[in-house]
Amino acid sequence: MIRARHGLLLIAPLALVLAGFFLAPVLMLLPTSFREYVPAAGFRPGYWTLENYLRIITDDFYREVIWRTLSLGLLVTLACLVLGYPVAYVIARGPPRWRMMLTLLVIFPMLLNLVVRSFGWIVLLANRGLVNNLLLQLGVLSAPVKLLFNLTGVMIGLTHIYLPFMVLMLVAAIRNVPRDVEAAAATLGSSRLHVFVAVTLPLSAPGILAGSILVFVLTISALVTPRMLGGPTYQVMATVIYDEYMQLLDWARGSALAFALTLMTVGIIALSSALTRRWAGMS
Amino acid sequence: MSAAADAAARAGLGVSIAAWAVVVFLQLPVIVVVLAAFSTTSYLTIPPQGVTLAWFAKVLSDPQYLSAIRMSLLLALGSTAISLLIGVPAAYAIHRRLVPGAQALTSLLMAPLIMPSVVIGVALLQYFSLTGIRGTLLGLLFAHVVITVPYVVRATLASLAGLELTMEEAARVLGATGFETFRLITLPLIAPGLAAGALFAFITSLDNVPVTIFLISASQTTLPVLIFSSVEMGVDPSVAAVSTLLIAVTGILLLIAERRAGLHRFV
Amino acid sequence: MSSLTLKNLSKSFGEPPVVRDVSLTIEEGEFVSLLGPSGCGKTTILRMVAGLAAPDRGLILIGDEDVTRFPPNRRNLGLVFQSYALFPHLTVFENVAFGLRRRKIGGAELDRRVAETLARVRLDSFGERYPRQLSGGQQQRVAIARALAPQPRVLLFDEPLSNLDAQLRDAMQIELKRLQRELRVTTLFVTHDQAEALSMSDRVGVMARGVVQQLAAPEDIYHRPTTAFVASFIGKPNRLSGVVSLRDGSGGRVRIGAELELAAIQIEGPVGATVDVIVRQEAIAVRLGRAAQGEIDGRVVLRSFSGARVQVVVRAAGGVELIAEAPSSGAIASLAVGDAVALAVPSTAVFAMAPEAGGP
Repeated sequence: MIRARHGLLLIAPLALVLAGFFLAPVLMLLPTSFREYVPAAGFRPGYWTLENYLRIITDDFYREVIWRTLSLGLLVTLACLVLGYPVAYVIARGPPRWRMMLTLLVIFPMLLNLVVRSFGWIVLLANRGLVNNLLLQLGVLSAPVKLLFNLTGVMIGLTHIYLPFMVLMLVAAIRNVPRDVEAAAATLGSSRLHVFVAVTLPLSAPGILAGSILVFVLTISALVTPRMLGGPTYQVMATVIYDEYMQLLDWARGSALAFALTLMTVGIIALSSALTRRWAGMS
Repeated sequence: MSAAADAAARAGLGVSIAAWAVVVFLQLPVIVVVLAAFSTTSYLTIPPQGVTLAWFAKVLSDPQYLSAIRMSLLLALGSTAISLLIGVPAAYAIHRRLVPGAQALTSLLMAPLIMPSVVIGVALLQYFSLTGIRGTLLGLLFAHVVITVPYVVRATLASLAGLELTMEEAARVLGATGFETFRLITLPLIAPGLAAGALFAFITSLDNVPVTIFLISASQTTLPVLIFSSVEMGVDPSVAAVSTLLIAVTGILLLIAERRAGLHRFV
Repeated sequence: MSSLTLKNLSKSFGEPPVVRDVSLTIEEGEFVSLLGPSGCGKTTILRMVAGLAAPDRGLILIGDEDVTRFPPNRRNLGLVFQSYALFPHLTVFENVAFGLRRRKIGGAELDRRVAETLARVRLDSFGERYPRQLSGGQQQRVAIARALAPQPRVLLFDEPLSNLDAQLRDAMQIELKRLQRELRVTTLFVTHDQAEALSMSDRVGVMARGVVQQLAAPEDIYHRPTTAFVASFIGKPNRLSGVVSLRDGSGGRVRIGAELELAAIQIEGPVGATVDVIVRQEAIAVRLGRAAQGEIDGRVVLRSFSGARVQVVVRAAGGVELIAEAPSSGAIASLAVGDAVALAVPSTAVFAMAPEAGGP
């Protein structure tokens, strides 16, 4: 049989690549977050500080950005849930012919370039964009409504980006709800709505949680869409990190924020894993 | 009542309408971009004021766009190939428990998926600067491998899980070596799943901005990063044109994957 | 064709050991079954012979060759799996040809041998089909053909017929036996079905908890079980609780309930010991009327007709109930509930053993 020694050989290349191009870089970023950057001079030698992290909690600007990032995460997750559940339901339970079509139509935008999609929203939402033009022409508006470079635009864009993820996770969850449990409820006299609320929804809850966690984590980590649809003035954590590195060249502050973001995502995922395991134990 | 009507009724008319409305919403920006690519005006109007192919011509003759396209394809193909080469054997070793701590290992291999891309980007920026490989093609290539290999590993593990162990055992007893068994039995049977994983890997690399943007130099950029910076500077229908080209390529790839391997079954 | 010898084979996956110090030899061309309940170790032994599991201790010899450390692909064996394990992406022809190709056999000889083997299992024209297009029985035969084509030294079967329905299984048993006789392949057959083992084998090895309890010809296993477990596993048992009332050589008498006494041919335990008593259903003779000398009085309380056979439940002295079974063409078929009957229970059908050594 295949010996264990072969096993190590099989996994070594991947392990090496990950160690060299993932683990090492991330670990080496940690010390940077404890240093101080002096503009145009580089890092202050031999000086270590917690200032970068403290500033995240105390500085108004950072706190606002973090608050905005988290609320965006929540709003987008909710929007994706509300919009995504019907689609997932029809894919999981609807006519087979629709299933393939719908699935492909959901996957297609997901595979499409992020930048292209965000660009599409710019064309749609700009002051001179399609939506405003249409509404002006129809006489619904007298002046263009600001749909970009604010919460609305970023939220619409992010919802659009992450909706397919939510749909796919929900489809898996709904598929796992045994049909005969629903049938049993129906024969016992439940209306369709009641069957949904009392049986389908709770039994698909683990999938709902998984999808929500995924979308939330992806949303708070997002860089491209918030930058394109929010512009340089409407900032989230990822875009601030980008600016610190590329414009301000303050790698120290940037890396501290980066680790703060990482802690949030990892923490949330760990929490949800623990929750799911407890749930799985109960069912 | 026909089976389709039956199912539709079960799903509920209201729900069905909502579902299709959402799906239309999903296609909206895509449609708009494609329309904008053919429009004569800078901003899209309904009805459009003119149709032209000028933007496509401009894009396809612009050396900056062409070199960006070439770079993106190179990175995508290269990183997918490397990911397959190192990811599939690793997944096999984990699946067959040839190495201890399979569970922990899998979590580690999936870590690049969990970590925010922007963090990976800045970490690599610092790392490449310190080790002097910043701006090299090889560095960029392996940065992409890091973000694509988890998809390959995950798809391979999922495919292997569906494979009966007895089939490999049968091949062994019939005289096949371990490697022959993998080549003749395991690989053909997990190929569809691998293809799906490779497709996701390819597109992840092709699409990527948050990691790539920190690592490129002025002379070599990728297509999405180029579009990203172009948009920052103002909207120009040539962006729409190159985007439409990307949309077309992705659409074709998707159709091929669906036709050949029934992609919709893997998600 | 070679013999297969196992010497002191042992294996454990933690406690307790799954295979305990098993030694046996299967002669060239012999058909031996390993029979036992699930968990008795028979499948583990098979997998060790095939090279799919490594023994903790012991040797496996094919002919004179020690193959214990050989990987499975170097042992030149054939293995038919319970789930058939056919390669779904290959045609029937390619499935059967697989082993031959690994031995670098190709071209016209390959075609000839595959065709020959397919003809032998009567699937001549099925070469171009895929496994998913075949019925269960046909897939079974492809699995057999695939194992046979490379002309292995020993043929191994891992409960190959348990996925088939009853009629198909009976037909396959006869076909397999015929095939084995024709080819004279040394065969090790693992099963939990005693009828199957008894009908197909030259010898049967009854296993329980990692040990081969008895290895003998089918008729010896049935009529002369050497351990209590074998006695209870083979045939259709009545299981009762009793007390040893007399010891005489290896047998004696047992008392069941307050009044019933039976002569037993094999008893484990001294006088006064509590024992589990096995009484073979098919050995009890039932007739209408009063009990003569050596017989037992009883009354029929239940009657069950299953086609070829009839079972009756008879209540005897002290409320003890015994089940008797006989062909439905005989006198038993005319018995009705409530009839007063006489039971003749030969001592050769009665075995008493220590309680914790009970069967499955």
